[in-house]
Amino acid sequence: MNTATLDLYTPVKATLTKVIEESPTIKTFVLKPEQEFHFKTGQFIELAMEGIGEAPFTPSSSPLVSDQIEVTIMKAGFVTEKIHKLSEGAVLGIRGPYGRGYPLEEMYGKQVLVMGGGCGFAPIRSLLYNLEAEKDKIKKLTFCYGSKTPKDCIYKDYIDHLRAVDKFEVFRSVDKADETWEEREGVVTNLLDEIKINVEESVAVVVGPPIMMKFSVQKLLELGFPGHKILLSLEKNMSCGLGKCGHCMMGKYFVCKDGPVFTYEEIKDQPDIWK
Amino acid sequence: METLVAITKSNWKSALINLIDEYVVYAPYRFWNQLEYGRVTKDNIGDIVYNQPKPSSPLKSLFLPIRENVVNSSQPAQKRIIMGAPACDLSALSILDEIYLNHDYPDPNYMKYRENTILIGFDCHTTNEHCHCTSYGFHPYPTENSDLVISLIDDNFLISAQSDKGLSFLEKYLSNEEQAPDEQKEKATEIRENIEHDLREKNKDLPDYDKTGEVVMQCGDDIWDRYSDTCVSCGACSAICPTCSCFLLIERPEFEKVRSLDTCQYPGFERVAAGEDPLRPLPKRFRNRYMCKYVWKPEKFQSKACTGCGRCIEACIGEINKNDLFKEQFKNLSIEA
Repeated sequence: MNTATLDLYTPVKATLTKVIEESPTIKTFVLKPEQEFHFKTGQFIELAMEGIGEAPFTPSSSPLVSDQIEVTIMKAGFVTEKIHKLSEGAVLGIRGPYGRGYPLEEMYGKQVLVMGGGCGFAPIRSLLYNLEAEKDKIKKLTFCYGSKTPKDCIYKDYIDHLRAVDKFEVFRSVDKADETWEEREGVVTNLLDEIKINVEESVAVVVGPPIMMKFSVQKLLELGFPGHKILLSLEKNMSCGLGKCGHCMMGKYFVCKDGPVFTYEEIKDQPDIWK
Repeated sequence: METLVAITKSNWKSALINLIDEYVVYAPYRFWNQLEYGRVTKDNIGDIVYNQPKPSSPLKSLFLPIRENVVNSSQPAQKRIIMGAPACDLSALSILDEIYLNHDYPDPNYMKYRENTILIGFDCHTTNEHCHCTSYGFHPYPTENSDLVISLIDDNFLISAQSDKGLSFLEKYLSNEEQAPDEQKEKATEIRENIEHDLREKNKDLPDYDKTGEVVMQCGDDIWDRYSDTCVSCGACSAICPTCSCFLLIERPEFEKVRSLDTCQYPGFERVAAGEDPLRPLPKRFRNRYMCKYVWKPEKFQSKACTGCGRCIEACIGEINKNDLFKEQFKNLSIEA
């Protein structure tokens, strides 16, 4: 029996070194694990608050960095509310990484269209860090990001950075603009009418709230994307991360182990994929 | 692998007296009007109930305790003998093994329980009202996952080995026993055939496992609404199911974790932080268990997710009988086809 087996449920301790406010409801937590922590972009971790609870998150930091890990969390439920109250110095637990991440090799030599909504930018940022480091391997990257209001747009500095990266282009839209907003207004799928993409040589990635993912996939299919070239990162109640506890079962899949990244083709016949 | 020895009641009793010094031994006992696994002691060896179908609790309870600390656990190391497991429960271990001994993440506690346990299965010499193992391709006598099998014939215990572990156990503890007489072997075989025949007759209108999956898939909302009408989400059907194995991880101080058996029948089972909960309506939860057992798990695992023990029918306080649903809908399906 290897040590990994013995430690199936025991987390690696990680100290909170910085808390960044991204929006009124979203914060990024910078963690320093007590040992190196490696993951592939798109894989997720179980983040535990001792004695309180544990929840799954996809790191928002670069998978190329192993001495620090960033997790961007929206205040949405019992555990996330408690995590939001933490300050520097707190010790959390990390288990993982779990599941199947983004298939980067499917993106090499292609145009990559990334669609993000709200806090879905978190796992996407990790992917973008990775693709930026390997940008000579892709043709082009188009990032369409949507959020409710300008206040809800996260990673503002990182957006500026992305706009300056060679081969990268960024489009943003908010459902409801205000006087400060100089970009598009409307749902994120509208951005697809403006961008130029060669569907034949493209791969699409969609991450966001269920409703956003549903309509984005619909539009991508209309544009001619085949189901196997649409990659989705799903959020289910991944609790053990090991393909055992059953909470994230979606038809024949355990999202924690078979996903969380799936092609639309793989999951289109499974139940409740948008719930 | 079939080594049959015959052992008399008094010799079996002496063997057990020695064994309980070395092992923690469990066997079926009658409590009130039902069978339940109990700890064997020197004083209650004579009360063990042989060759009756299924104790109320499934065998899984002895491998996946209702609640267990999975970070700091010292319990599973003890050597155990579990006697009296019926074939339906033994076969149910196959899918638990697929999930809990999965090569990517073998579960340490479950693995220790499995490794440290000698399983002695019993042939079923009678049936309960809702037993239907034969409809899903199983037999009323152990064919897998047991180390030894016992059939009590004319005051003689006929014992056969079904695994290397069972064989060495026989050699170690019962090596001086006689070979079973032919007429007793024949009698044991006859009982097997009769019980199998009875079960097949009794359940002849039930679809087989694959067809049950088709039936479940075809059921519309009206069927789930109707059959779940008296369901109160108590979760008894999952608790007593030998293959239901979902759990909740409870976070404890010092990053300890307690695994507590859970079920999709409880509200909020699939709820995510943002509030989405695909299984919020009760009929959807009710349907989920059927889909899981007869449609989804068969697509994912080699082993069957229902072994026909019928406990879920016996345990339901809403008196929901899944076999009524299957029979009714199978008939409709056949008519349409």
